[in-house]
Amino acid sequence: MTGATLSTPHLNTEPPRSRGRRELPEGAGNAALVFGAWLLLVLATTITRPDFISHQTLLSVTFTMSVTGVLALAQALVAISGGILDLSIPTALILPSWLAVTLAALGWSSWLVVLITVTTGAAWGALNASIIVWGKLNPIIVTLGTNFAGLAVMLLVFQSAQTPLHSGLSHFGRGYFLGLPNIFWPMLLLLALVGFLMRQTRYGRRAVAVGGSPTAAKSRGISLRKTRFAIFGSAGALAGAAAVLFTGSNANFTPNDGTNYLLSVIAAVILAGISLSGGRGHLWMILPSVGFLSTVPVSLVFFGLNDNWQTVMQGAILIIAVAIDGLRQKRLAR
Amino acid sequence: MSAVDTTLAPHLDNSRSARVKGMLESPVASIAIALAVVIAVGLAWLGGSYLSASNISIIGSFAAVPIIVGTCSGLALMSGVVDLSIGSMVGFSATAFAELTSDGWNAWETAAICLLLSLVCGLINALAIVTFGADPIAATLGMLTVLRGLSTVLNGNTGAIASLVSGFYDFLNQRIGPFPILFVLAMLGVLVATLVATKTRLGRHIRAAGGDERAARRAGISVTRIRYGTLMLSALGAGAGGILYIGQLGGSSNLLGTGLEFQIYAALMIGGYSILRGGVGNPAGGVMGLLVVAGVGNMLDVKSINPYYVNVIVGVLLVAAVLLDRLRGGDAYE
Repeated sequence: MTGATLSTPHLNTEPPRSRGRRELPEGAGNAALVFGAWLLLVLATTITRPDFISHQTLLSVTFTMSVTGVLALAQALVAISGGILDLSIPTALILPSWLAVTLAALGWSSWLVVLITVTTGAAWGALNASIIVWGKLNPIIVTLGTNFAGLAVMLLVFQSAQTPLHSGLSHFGRGYFLGLPNIFWPMLLLLALVGFLMRQTRYGRRAVAVGGSPTAAKSRGISLRKTRFAIFGSAGALAGAAAVLFTGSNANFTPNDGTNYLLSVIAAVILAGISLSGGRGHLWMILPSVGFLSTVPVSLVFFGLNDNWQTVMQGAILIIAVAIDGLRQKRLAR
Repeated sequence: MSAVDTTLAPHLDNSRSARVKGMLESPVASIAIALAVVIAVGLAWLGGSYLSASNISIIGSFAAVPIIVGTCSGLALMSGVVDLSIGSMVGFSATAFAELTSDGWNAWETAAICLLLSLVCGLINALAIVTFGADPIAATLGMLTVLRGLSTVLNGNTGAIASLVSGFYDFLNQRIGPFPILFVLAMLGVLVATLVATKTRLGRHIRAAGGDERAARRAGISVTRIRYGTLMLSALGAGAGGILYIGQLGGSSNLLGTGLEFQIYAALMIGGYSILRGGVGNPAGGVMGLLVVAGVGNMLDVKSINPYYVNVIVGVLLVAAVLLDRLRGGDAYE
């Protein structure tokens, strides 16, 4: 959408018909698709199982949305600014999580734990950024490699970790506010805030410009290096924030638990209309897309299918989402 | 094959230092050096037993299936598409084969069914990537998840299926000199693939499709058909790999094939392929890369060091390999 404001002068010279055609599918078509799919899923499940509509369902959907939403926001920042994908999201979640529960077990104050957790996430992002920037390497490969090594190191460090029961983390993570899980609200807040900053501040618009066309952004005097560091650092910090919600709401976890999020996070970003080729999309669209993806597992339970089918569905949704994204690219390129 | 590779590198300068530099940067030299380093470290660390007949036979049977799978997906890389789903396709095919044979199905018919299933998965990958224009990494990551989920469903509560097909194990356990028969067969496959890739018109077309898609299209090469072919070949190789694993191991488990794709691609990249651009590398180089990873894994195994260290090393090697690829003329990312 920021892309649309950049190209306004060109639009005036075009015939009005093509202008309408181009603007509509960009945001509106995708939003309609996501909301439509979500509504269809809810309707289909409710018709089969009327007891689907309940507070319990709402709780489990919002619960799933929380961690996924924050991680999707991190992934979206990377995608929109031309960093393609951060495949190291699992390590970016597990490393701070492990640190958080370790420090909480030592009795550190909760605020300090949160601060350190978020900083650790940012440091992980900065590590990725430094390899990407200094080596001039593609982020997908770099994060593939760092995730592979990072998770292996985490597996060497611990097999299973527990969140201390009487820590602030776990009190917060298991609480409720306004009828919804506590952990849902920070997600909503971060999404609103980062979405706003991305559109309304110079820095946000620069990042989107870098994603749209790095060469054009560079010629306008935007530092690509600084942008990469800022984006991967913020994405890491967001993953650190997700780690706070994750450890608070999970009594125990293993290093492999982070991997389960990667797929739904990528699918959420693509479904939200944030193209992997950068420069297009609106961060707020993550909310309905994560909402839809988080409803899928709950629906599957109501249809009587177990967790493993959830994995199958997630993969299938990802394939369909990237195929739609590909078609959209082709149409734009024409 | 080195002749083909050097013609790709633009060193028209025939001075001696330029030639030496060109040789050091050429893929064949870097793999040969890597392999030599691994053997030297092995001999220094483990003594002469590292190259003993029994250890070579262990490395050979460990590397045989990855060589078959990697040679097939290497041709997909050469045509410009990466297939990340190979690891879980190995797992899925193995699980399906174990499930059906343990139910008393005929082994040959079951093998045919498993290969057919793999081809269908390859067809779906190709449809999403080639026809719809989906990002190959994201689309095949989706397929990876779908197949991982299906394997877990099939493996059931125990997470493993035992299957002993009479004659199959005995056949694969034969040796020719110090080499397991499967390793010899795999190397014959590599030989055929190398000849096809470097000496035939089909090979040149695959290379052209991966190197410069538009130029290849203009030259009348059907890039679509080639990529459909290589993606299905990659799936077929993974399907065959899964079946062969059952012959080697006597059963499937949820863990079979997890992370195999990363190990294989890291190895192929060390061997001169690139997962970011097609048209480079060749099967002979790829197999040396796979032997490097197998050799490192074997060393840690003999010293009974935690296998997670292999992943740390592979992660670092992956980043090193992509850096090397960029120095060889791969695109710089900014």
